[in-house]
Amino acid sequence: MAKITIDGKTIEVENGTTVLNAARQLEVDIPTLCDHPELTPYGGCRLCLVEVEGARTLQPSCTLPVSDGMVVKTETEKIREARKFVLSMIFSERNHFCPYCQVSGGDCELQNSAYAEGMTHWPIQPNWHPYSVDASHPFIILDHNRCILCRRCVRACGELVGNFTLGFEERGADSTLVADLGLPLGESSCIGCGTCVQVCPTGTLIDRWSAYQGKETDVETTKTICLGCSVGCGIDVLTRDNRLVRIEGDWTATINHGLLCDVGRFLPMVEERERILTPMVKTDGKLKAATWDDALKVAAEMISKHKGNLDGVTSTRVSVEAMAQLRNLCEAFDAKSLLTTEDCQAVSAIYHQASSDQSALEGKVEDLLDADCYLTFGEDITKDHQVLSFFAKRRIPEGAQVIQITDKVSGFDNFATITLKVKEKSLADFLIDLKDLISGKSGDMALIAEKYSLDKDELQSTLDALQSSEKSVILFGSRFDFSNSDAVVSATRSLSQAANAKLITTKGNINSVGAAALGYEGAGKVQADLLLMVLADEDLTQCIEQKFEKAPKRVVFSSYVSPLTAGADVVFPVENWLEQDGHIINFDGHILEQHAALESAPEVYSNSNAIEKLASILNVKNNTDWKKELDKFTSPVKIA
Amino acid sequence: MAKPTVASDWLGGCAGCHMSFLDIDERIVDLVELVDLRATPITDLKEPDKAGVTVGILEGGITNTYNEEVAIRMRERCQILVALGDCAIFGGVPAMRNFFTLEEALTRAYVETPSTDASGKIPANPELAKMTLVRPVHEIVKVDVFVPGCPPDADIIFYVLAELAQGRIPKLENNNLMWN
Repeated sequence: MAKITIDGKTIEVENGTTVLNAARQLEVDIPTLCDHPELTPYGGCRLCLVEVEGARTLQPSCTLPVSDGMVVKTETEKIREARKFVLSMIFSERNHFCPYCQVSGGDCELQNSAYAEGMTHWPIQPNWHPYSVDASHPFIILDHNRCILCRRCVRACGELVGNFTLGFEERGADSTLVADLGLPLGESSCIGCGTCVQVCPTGTLIDRWSAYQGKETDVETTKTICLGCSVGCGIDVLTRDNRLVRIEGDWTATINHGLLCDVGRFLPMVEERERILTPMVKTDGKLKAATWDDALKVAAEMISKHKGNLDGVTSTRVSVEAMAQLRNLCEAFDAKSLLTTEDCQAVSAIYHQASSDQSALEGKVEDLLDADCYLTFGEDITKDHQVLSFFAKRRIPEGAQVIQITDKVSGFDNFATITLKVKEKSLADFLIDLKDLISGKSGDMALIAEKYSLDKDELQSTLDALQSSEKSVILFGSRFDFSNSDAVVSATRSLSQAANAKLITTKGNINSVGAAALGYEGAGKVQADLLLMVLADEDLTQCIEQKFEKAPKRVVFSSYVSPLTAGADVVFPVENWLEQDGHIINFDGHILEQHAALESAPEVYSNSNAIEKLASILNVKNNTDWKKELDKFTSPVKIA
Repeated sequence: MAKPTVASDWLGGCAGCHMSFLDIDERIVDLVELVDLRATPITDLKEPDKAGVTVGILEGGITNTYNEEVAIRMRERCQILVALGDCAIFGGVPAMRNFFTLEEALTRAYVETPSTDASGKIPANPELAKMTLVRPVHEIVKVDVFVPGCPPDADIIFYVLAELAQGRIPKLENNNLMWN
């Protein structure tokens, strides 16, 4: 512990604490620019200079560790002059013109710093040399004129996302932010996660879609979760006049700690599907607008007529509340099966395995944060559950091993320390053999390498990595549809036990776990004549749509027009993901809350309320408590 | 004591700061009770009195040799010089042309725009002022009070003028300090 006095206030802090963080604990405000709470201190901007008693010069507080008895001043005339000088130098380094900048007027940390110092003008002229603007990226614009060389983006890209796309070339005032070795951002290895945009203190990195649509003071912020995949990242949804402006990662979220991928941050901004705003009923072979009352009546008649001959289908983007209600309604009419719109049986297989094991064996998201060996197979996690891949990739510089088993091109190709090209159909066998090797049951490495046409040394390194690891994680995907799903899942479980590795399976879509917990199976063969479908706002693949189009009759709840609504008998408009509240269960069993950020059009109800309306006209009482239902099957992961 | 005198002029700007000044609306009546408004670009008298004024206000940046002359004349004839608006203080929108050569900027303006064609001629009369790099006023003459904004809010302008009229140097901070 070290005692430090800042502006007359004394505090005892842990050794190694920076003066800046000690000041924050004392609620002493020191201005900063290059510092970001989620990033390693860098000491680049010099705005946080403080006077340390006994030190010859002013010291940057963000990188200065406290020492016992240190006496620090943060508000002397000398410091204020230094800050103004630092800001003057920063303004003169590039071309910062506030009237035509996206972040001016509250969102710019550089401008705010200048205001705080009462700067009315720039004592030193700007650079006047034009710097390039890189607009090659579909989501991000990079304007070098506004760059203050703070390297927050570089640190975020490496330390948080583990992608290492951004870096700097040249030195001093010539320093330039570059992607890869100088490629345009849009052609670089950038994965478009936008974390750099979120941490940029100026208007250097801005997001194309929300640019000039409103400052943070003009918008309302709603904390909710992303429904892009099963990770369940916390997001801040910025809206203005009931219009989506931007999505940002929620730094306080327990799952993603502020990180997002392109699917979560940018893709919702380009929603172009046609919205359904009124109920529709098929009359004379064509869908015609109807009132809720009429449409409900037609749907109720169809359901009554098809008692015992209907299937319930839910999108995995639907809340557990709505899933439970749909199940309740389906059970009242003796539904043949309860299906999800998920095109594979992975989650069902994982659940079946858990039931036969009778235990929740899997690890939690925290286990990914500090592992030293990651073994991944079953999907390209860098595409389908991206944020989880960040946690593995960013550990590589610290010596973590990332081993992938795949015979396809993968986003891990440039990062993985070892790639084992095992054919998909022999994956289960290979996992069993690997397990035997690890547990010492069978020792013939050469034979096994030959069996799967693998490099013997690579297989040996895999074994060494898993055996010498202090904390290894098996990151098992769920975008596979092997004919032997159950065998792969069971082999994965036994391998994780043999290797003493934490097992984490990605489990499909946002609420796949909720669906499985309530007894829904992956989309199999349609058996009944009537499908009662809650498609919500899901954008289904053609393949899955064709599967359901085979059913002769359909009652559909959907936010958007799709082939499945076009051929339906009754269509009910429902709210999209940003318009409703609810609960979902993510891949590692967290029950997450979804909050409405936008108001829906009149006559458009939440999935849950819309099902409720149908149930009440059919006299089906909703008396299921979904929380109690979750324990019905053994879950592969602890739900809480 | 005689009322303080005020004169203003505009350089390379858009007149928006003067328009914003007029947005003080009926408060102009209060203002003229406190100060004697002399030459401005929007009144009959165009040049500040040779005898000098208390406060000189300049809108716009220095874009050519004529702007330089006007700025120097204002500085010579006033006791307190106010730079009004982002163009006067930072160069503002006209300073965007600094990223091109003067020839490129002139060709764009007189030949390449949708309303001009290849027959367009770049004015070359020797009597015209010579264009220069666009600079803030304080690069040419000493400025005493900086009032940033594009344009500065009418309330801010009123505050500045009211302070000056009462013999105080206004301090722009907190909500009165805005660069855009």
